[in-house]
Amino acid sequence: MEQSSDNHYGLVLAGVGLALALAIAAGVFWGTANLPVDERIKALLRLPDAQRNLELIIWEWRLPRVIAVALVGAALSLAGVIMQALLRNPLADPYLLGLSSGASAAATASIVWLPAVVMTTVGLPLLAFAGAMVAFLVTLGLAFRPGRGMDKLMLILAGIAVSLFFSSVSAFFLHIADPHVTRNALSFLMGSASGTKWSQLWPLAVVVPVACLAVFALSRHLDAVLLGDERAVALGVPLNAMRVGLFSVAALLAGLAVAIAGIVGFVGLVVPHMARLLVGASHRRLVPLAVVLGMIVLVVVDLLCRIVLAPEELPLGVLLALFAAPPFVVILRRVRRGL
Amino acid sequence: MASDTVLQLHGIGLAKSGKRLLEDISFGLERGKFHALLGPNGAGKSSLMKILYRVERAGTGEVMLDGKPLTNWPRTAYAARVGALVQEAVTLSGLSLGEVVRLGMLPLRLSAGEMNDRCGEALELVGLADRIADDAAYLSGGEQQRLFFAQLLALDPDIYLLDEPHNHLDLHYQYVLLNAVKARGKTVLASFHDLTLATRYCDQAFLLNHGRLAAQGALAEVLTTERMAEVYRVDARYSEGIVRIEGALAQSNAN
Repeated sequence: MEQSSDNHYGLVLAGVGLALALAIAAGVFWGTANLPVDERIKALLRLPDAQRNLELIIWEWRLPRVIAVALVGAALSLAGVIMQALLRNPLADPYLLGLSSGASAAATASIVWLPAVVMTTVGLPLLAFAGAMVAFLVTLGLAFRPGRGMDKLMLILAGIAVSLFFSSVSAFFLHIADPHVTRNALSFLMGSASGTKWSQLWPLAVVVPVACLAVFALSRHLDAVLLGDERAVALGVPLNAMRVGLFSVAALLAGLAVAIAGIVGFVGLVVPHMARLLVGASHRRLVPLAVVLGMIVLVVVDLLCRIVLAPEELPLGVLLALFAAPPFVVILRRVRRGL
Repeated sequence: MASDTVLQLHGIGLAKSGKRLLEDISFGLERGKFHALLGPNGAGKSSLMKILYRVERAGTGEVMLDGKPLTNWPRTAYAARVGALVQEAVTLSGLSLGEVVRLGMLPLRLSAGEMNDRCGEALELVGLADRIADDAAYLSGGEQQRLFFAQLLALDPDIYLLDEPHNHLDLHYQYVLLNAVKARGKTVLASFHDLTLATRYCDQAFLLNHGRLAAQGALAEVLTTERMAEVYRVDARYSEGIVRIEGALAQSNAN
């Protein structure tokens, strides 16, 4: 049986790997007129005889955007995996627990107040991370009652309250800012990766792979936490240190994701559950699969946002909610007894 | 005698939100012996267990494993020596029985083959071997308890800490599983609120009452009629390895 489940996992991983490659290819090439394949490949490889404008579109517009949404999808999905495991709460995710709103309020504030130079280099990602961290701590603080620990339903309600609070903080900043700036900041509320530049990508491009490896290395410890806090500690898991470390990682992932694409809800919630349906809850398998699935989902949804009403673009949030609602209902039915 | 003590408690005390849960508890566990931790509900059995499996930190006093203070032991090395069967309700989901049992060996560095052998053997002992690949979500309370027993048997630590091991188990498995632990010949500390199982298995008993150690020693010395009246508020006699309970005592007699 062990052998067959390993085979099953190998097949699933190969399948989603292929799907990711197809999704990225579609994201890069879809809508580039009816050019022959070799022209497209030439442009992608920046060969000397490639068409200049096609090369420009692919390298300055499509690729950074596709990579941005893929990294955002991976970051949110990984943050969801971390939070669901360490809180043993199937509904924990950066969006529902207020991290995204906190990051977005901080990002909005920085767009309104900080000089553009500071903001675009380090200011925005760092502030978004700080915002996510503050929101997370407030949510945890509201839900925690000494001696009784953390009630699962209370945690979600606290997250929603924190989320609402930071949303209105964002709205207030937008209201008092001048209209030109407001246009810029508005994308943070709806979610969009259009116009992402290469220079904005490096924080996520560094943090996502490192975080994936770190979480993967801790996969047995995360599995132990699924058995209960006390069992994990009795098995030698340094639970408190792991919580502090990995919650910070989750806030960093959520903050950086918001700094690039604004609030993108439901990915962190739904994608880990999709992955669990395919390969079970053991993190050795769950972490790689959830990360790849998160990439696929956002690359595909971003592509749809671009082409459904072309040349108009839809914000990510609009189609994502449509995509996420049906699996969300399935998940609710499955987790009912656990909450 | 002293060299045979593996785990020694010196004056352990614990207070939580102003309430004193444990006070000045000192005793030692002897290598290879089965020890029972007795006492009525709220006597402090679980709190003491939690200190020993490191979920709680003792407010006062010290625990020594092999003469070295617990706080100086790295978590993993300690967990490899001292394993616990914990009372904690949990909804398992998405992990197979085999995966749960293998997690029990987290503190050890074993080859995959050795892990599989231990996992299969432990599940065999608790009667769940044929369900090794099933999702643990679908286990009943008793089956879950058997699964956690298997986890501990697979780890096979030097010291077994069993917090109310008979919980959720039917009579058959209470005896099967405690026999399996006893057969390993390791040091055991098991808490019981039920005296029947304790009398069957233990060599030594520690009786807690209101967070203090009321008595320790062989069962015949610990379970005197006066002490059972005072601590358990029952009229009972202990003789030839059997506790015979006549009935509850009226409130006034207890004070």
